Amino acid sequence: MIDSGKQPEIKRVEITVNGKTVQARTDKPLIHACLQAESEVPHYCYHPGLSPVGSCRICQVEVQQGKMPARVMVACRTPVAAGMVVDTESKGAHDSRKECLEFLLKNHPLDCPICDKAGECTLQDYSFAEGQGEGRSVEPRRKLEKRKDLGDVIMLDQERCILCSRCVRFMEEVPETPQLCVAGRGSHSIIETWNNQPLSGNYQGNLADVCPVGALTLKSFRFKARVWNLTKTASSCGECSRGCSTTVEVLRAGEIVRIRPRHDEEVNKWWMCDTGRFALDHFSEVDRLVGACMPSATRGWDQFPVEDGLQVAADMLMAAEKPLIVASPWLTVEEGTELLTLGRQLNGRVAFVSPAQNELADDLLHTGDPAPNRRGLTDLGFEALSPEEILSAASEHSSILCIGERVASLLGEDGFNSLPSATRVLLFDCALPAAQEVGNSPIDLAIGLATSAERAGHWVNIDGIRRPILQARPAPTGVWNTVRLLQNLLGLLATREIQS
Amino acid sequence: MSHETYLFSRMDREDTHTLKGYEAQGGYQAFKKILSEGTSPTDVTGIVKDSGLRGRGGAGFPTGLKWSFMPDPTKDSRTRYMAVNADESEPGTCKDRILMERDPHGLLEGCMIAAWAMGLAGIYIYVRGEYRLSYARLDEAIQEARAAGLIGKNIMGSDFSCEVQMHKGAGAYICGEETGLMESLEGKRGHPRPKPPFPAGFGLWGQPTTVNNVESIFNVPFILERGSDWFKTMGTEKSPGNFLCGVSGHVEKPGVYEIALGTPASTILNEYAGGVWRGRELRAWIPGGSSTGFLRPEVIDTPMDHDSVKAVGSMFGTGAMIILDQTASVVRSALVLMNFYEHESCGQCSQCREGTEWLAQVFQRIHDGHGRMEDIDLLTDIANGMAPGKTICALADAAAIPTHSVIRNFRDELVEYVQEGGHAAVSKKRSLPLEVV
Repeated sequence: MIDSGKQPEIKRVEITVNGKTVQARTDKPLIHACLQAESEVPHYCYHPGLSPVGSCRICQVEVQQGKMPARVMVACRTPVAAGMVVDTESKGAHDSRKECLEFLLKNHPLDCPICDKAGECTLQDYSFAEGQGEGRSVEPRRKLEKRKDLGDVIMLDQERCILCSRCVRFMEEVPETPQLCVAGRGSHSIIETWNNQPLSGNYQGNLADVCPVGALTLKSFRFKARVWNLTKTASSCGECSRGCSTTVEVLRAGEIVRIRPRHDEEVNKWWMCDTGRFALDHFSEVDRLVGACMPSATRGWDQFPVEDGLQVAADMLMAAEKPLIVASPWLTVEEGTELLTLGRQLNGRVAFVSPAQNELADDLLHTGDPAPNRRGLTDLGFEALSPEEILSAASEHSSILCIGERVASLLGEDGFNSLPSATRVLLFDCALPAAQEVGNSPIDLAIGLATSAERAGHWVNIDGIRRPILQARPAPTGVWNTVRLLQNLLGLLATREIQS
Repeated sequence: MSHETYLFSRMDREDTHTLKGYEAQGGYQAFKKILSEGTSPTDVTGIVKDSGLRGRGGAGFPTGLKWSFMPDPTKDSRTRYMAVNADESEPGTCKDRILMERDPHGLLEGCMIAAWAMGLAGIYIYVRGEYRLSYARLDEAIQEARAAGLIGKNIMGSDFSCEVQMHKGAGAYICGEETGLMESLEGKRGHPRPKPPFPAGFGLWGQPTTVNNVESIFNVPFILERGSDWFKTMGTEKSPGNFLCGVSGHVEKPGVYEIALGTPASTILNEYAGGVWRGRELRAWIPGGSSTGFLRPEVIDTPMDHDSVKAVGSMFGTGAMIILDQTASVVRSALVLMNFYEHESCGQCSQCREGTEWLAQVFQRIHDGHGRMEDIDLLTDIANGMAPGKTICALADAAAIPTHSVIRNFRDELVEYVQEGGHAAVSKKRSLPLEVV
């Protein structure tokens, strides 16, 4: 379980890193202090979220302690001591790292042009920065399995592996489901699963992140994009109420090709679950609801711009006595605030759909609660109603406004379609629920919304931590930002009130 | 050639390995005396320290000093352990085996004295898997000693208790490295641990632990019985005592000899081992097990003690001399060693995993006649990249030292291999006419 907030007392000592004075934590190895001092220290086996093993030997820095002469040592297994003077850029340190890189590259296939990791591979980066340009080995390189299937999520390339064992330790230490091991000895070592069984669990995707080279790659991302073509936006995951901090990576302002965890000490550390990682695009492009539409007896769905749709919505809502306003728990705090104003103006009942717990809950990150902003909306004063409660309350109201990403599907397709025909149904969602036929659909008016990758705002997670979602790509033309939509609607209502 | 011997003093009797035979020769007297007189543990450690006994496992670290690193029991109440390193797998070394097979109680008595000195709760004897007789003899000896109340709970009716357990190695050289040995004892892969923390502070299962070689421990009862001054009369000032020298290779009488430290290697070779076999010339010799490198015949008069061997650019190591005669090839021998280190590298550290393989590959090429002159410098660079002190344990050093030694002492042979087209050509030149034996 990731504990947020509760930290034991941290002792610090003063050390010098490249001339900078740093208050170094004594419970962390020297490399932590070096990185904290913004000194670049190459590292492969060291990962801040895993136990240090000191096996790749690349993180060599020069350390001078007391009256002892300066020595080059590995920073990830050196405890800090008061008064240490560290030089990460000394000739000795550079030479040692250069030597180490030559060993690491001796059997590396150097297939960067076809490697998905290229561009974000630290073996590539450090070789470029500190390596010697040309290998002196004339021996044949080790031939190993290039495509070893490790289950549904991960593909292993044993030739690229530098045996840092981060993946082994990740599985042992984070989800605590040890599945990988270093098999064989010495130069015959390889990463393997027990008996070649496929990997399991909801945290496999992290293996591709912890792998410093292109050995463990996501099957779903293989050969999809060169990473330098991706636009990366900081955001939060909406698949459960943990709200892991993420980076959403978009290829050429279009498709979301990858979502990765972003280090957040309070929420998710360095990790995220596969459910969130692979929730790339909930709505396919063809299904998206663009602009506004109404059922028409003669012409099927009548399409028209959002401005006109809002006029119709204002009319419908004005006519209603006490509308039921049903929000999606995907609404941001900002959108929720606007919606509450709308609720007050209309004297409506404002609630959000509180979906049932799902079976994905675990001890690490996934809360099993598919309502990312439950806490934020509750704090604002929204009433939490289960889909069943909402459906049964619907008949007491002459109109119902369902608003927010996935609101229709959270109510359940059948439930939504069985809303009483006497009730006027306004649906503001990213897509129409499946199987909506004119004459059969309960919808009286629908307006398209932007998804959480297309708008900005804040969610408050299960522990009350407020985190942003940011716009990773533009919304389709003709789709409005939800806040703008609500503010316009409020304006229209106010105008109408004055007029009447 | 005659000098005082004690390590082998009981070897003549057939039943030394039994408790009866051992006790008949004064066995367990030193331990019983300490226990009955209640000699303080610090005094025992003090005597061992004063004797100047240096570890016989390779590094030559003073045994008493190592014991004194164990935390003070009045300040640290954790359970303490000792691991006896009987995983003797350094090529050329075969001395501990004799002791365990022929005189297991001698080792056990040393263990119990160590247990008293350091307040140990348990002793693990990590025996090389191939040493079946050693294991069986030690196993019997432990059972006998336990039945006699010398091991286990309330030893000799006192409130001192210490258990002894054996563990069989599964054939990995790296498990003879002290931290690799501890990992292996804990049931994990024998991957050496980075130091610090050192075993005395964080050893087996995180408890204070000391790791000692069989021969080091075997010396202890003699020192306690006869005193540290007696011990210092043998050997040299900085390396007192006798050591077991395993002589192998091209000699007339290979074997394990008890020799005073500081005896010239030439004396050992000629007077004990009967000289280079068949009256041939000496081409090269290894002073202390494969990791200590090849030396030239010119330095064969080097006294066999830690400092003197160090002065000629090698290490005393385990004191296991390997002799190569004039027909032997240093390059080929180095190739054999490099294949060994490549095979035995645990693979944790990049330099060792890749470097041992690389060294073996380059030596193989030179051996096969595909060497280039620049390979000689490349070998130096590879070895410099691996050691000293660049990896978690000393296995990389163990591969780098012989490599350096070949380049430093036998560069001419490397050049010969490169220029004349490898082993086939060179060995033809060197071969002697067939002898009829």
